Amino acid sequence: MIDGLLILLFFQFLGEVVIRLTGLPLPAPVLGMVLLLMALLLNAPFTQRVATAAGTLIKHISLLIFPLGVGIVLQWDRYQENALALVVAVVGGTIISLILVTLMLKLLMGGKHQEKEDGHGH
Amino acid sequence: MDTDLQGLAGLVHTPLFGILLTLASYQFALWVYGKSNSLPLFHPFLVASIPVIVVLPMVGVDYEEYREQTSLIAFLLGPATVALAWPLYRQLHTVRSVLTPIVIATLIGAFIAAGISVGLAWWLGAPEDVIASLAPKSITTPIAVEVVKSTGGSESLVAGAVAITGIVGALAAGPIYRLLKVKDDRIRGFALGLVAHAIGTARAFEYGEKAGAFSGLALGLCGLVTALALPWIWPWIAGLLS
Repeated sequence: MIDGLLILLFFQFLGEVVIRLTGLPLPAPVLGMVLLLMALLLNAPFTQRVATAAGTLIKHISLLIFPLGVGIVLQWDRYQENALALVVAVVGGTIISLILVTLMLKLLMGGKHQEKEDGHGH
Repeated sequence: MDTDLQGLAGLVHTPLFGILLTLASYQFALWVYGKSNSLPLFHPFLVASIPVIVVLPMVGVDYEEYREQTSLIAFLLGPATVALAWPLYRQLHTVRSVLTPIVIATLIGAFIAAGISVGLAWWLGAPEDVIASLAPKSITTPIAVEVVKSTGGSESLVAGAVAITGIVGALAAGPIYRLLKVKDDRIRGFALGLVAHAIGTARAFEYGEKAGAFSGLALGLCGLVTALALPWIWPWIAGLLS
């Protein structure tokens, strides 16, 4: 757990260093994620030990984000004038996106369905 | 006696109180979620918010102060974002053979998911900071929150928009797949992960391992693509909208 956390923080720090040196307009943790992914794909030593810490953090991601989400209700006066736009964009936008993305995938992957069917019966 | 009580009341203004309240609410939400057999409507994000929203005004702690109390928890969003490399790495291994159509699908899909909500919000007259908070709503929250820091939106708004997107997507997937006659688990999983991130992925696993793996892959790739692209193109979009 601690070794994994160390690796995660190290790559986040690395992302921060690269961004400060280059001025890239990216979030440092995102760049840290890309760097860690590259390290994993290149079989860099120790990186596999990230598994436990990574799994734990991802499993409890809701714990990390709901304290931000309560701000919508507790500071509702900031958002209420845009309530309609928010509800339509979030609820309607999600349903429309899901339909369009599904149709696009049918178009892109549908034809390959037959040949790729690998028949694992479970 | 009087000072004792005052000292006791002052406890609500310590990080200990905020973190205790947050963890207790989350534990309660996990229990409810388990009891409901993981129904998207009872997602821990929604249920855990309720005790916090009720208790904070009662004890006189405002949202800004609560954010400061729980900054230790918020800090962990950084390493949690880096951690997403792990599942992405695992799933890239399993689907290497169909990688090209998947990358193309991710690029188009990420554009659709962000574009539709930006377009709708703009059409309904939302200001720029609100639109900026909606653009990354289909990607997993830690990345979305990080992205919003560079496009100038609201962290609260993006956290809420992402969570509700996940819940709506997970609820709508069943009817939509029936309507469009989708039976391919790869498509079911990929669309859910792309539009509805982690909550969609949990739903995708109900279709099976294969749908779950494709969903996890879509979640990772879509988050990556959006996070890499949005900070560059946002200034340009913002210029178009204003």
